[in-house]
Amino acid sequence: MTQVELIDLTVNKSVDARGTACPGPLLEAKKAIGTIGSGDIMEILSADEGTKRDIPKWANKKGHEYLGTVEESGFFKIYLKKG
Amino acid sequence: MAKLCMGLFSGSLDKLTAAGVILSGAAADDMDVEVFVLLQGARAFIKGNENKIDNLAEASHLKEEFVNSLKSLNVSTWYEFFEMAKEMTNVKVYICSLAGKIWGAEKLEDFNDLTDEICGIGEYLTSAEEADIHMFI
Repeated sequence: MTQVELIDLTVNKSVDARGTACPGPLLEAKKAIGTIGSGDIMEILSADEGTKRDIPKWANKKGHEYLGTVEESGFFKIYLKKG
Repeated sequence: MAKLCMGLFSGSLDKLTAAGVILSGAAADDMDVEVFVLLQGARAFIKGNENKIDNLAEASHLKEEFVNSLKSLNVSTWYEFFEMAKEMTNVKVYICSLAGKIWGAEKLEDFNDLTDEICGIGEYLTSAEEADIHMFI
């Protein structure tokens, strides 16, 4: 998806994990994805560089769709669609 | 589901923290985990010792920097990582019986709430043989 499409997404769940280092954001994502339904969109806010690579890999492995990442100033928004 | 077997020999703060981070990753991935706590590691698992662990296995002269950085980065304690991993996935913690005896702890009730069983070395090796991933820390 393009950056504009990502920004325009209606998210069902937003997880702000900017206060934690690795593995915090991954754990937050794992916990939160259990609370939403199949096809729902989740965004994870993270200020951790490792997470930017980790969450897409984790999502694909667990059968969720990684939609893309938007870089903000000092953090990332990572978008997933639950499988 | 992938199975992770960890031999946790070290009872030092830095290596326990590493073990905790790795367990968290395994938990996020829904892995089955078996942790075998060996010689030095067992001391950290004796009831009441979880907050007394303050030595580093490496770069011990930089302990203050290490500990302060963990705090400022809001990193969980090694014990919290283990607790979280146990809540999120199937994690079993086994204490080597010899290791326990060395530190004066022989019964399951002598160890913290993370501990599931006391075991012998054969069980560790069987677990390692059957696991997809085996690591020794």
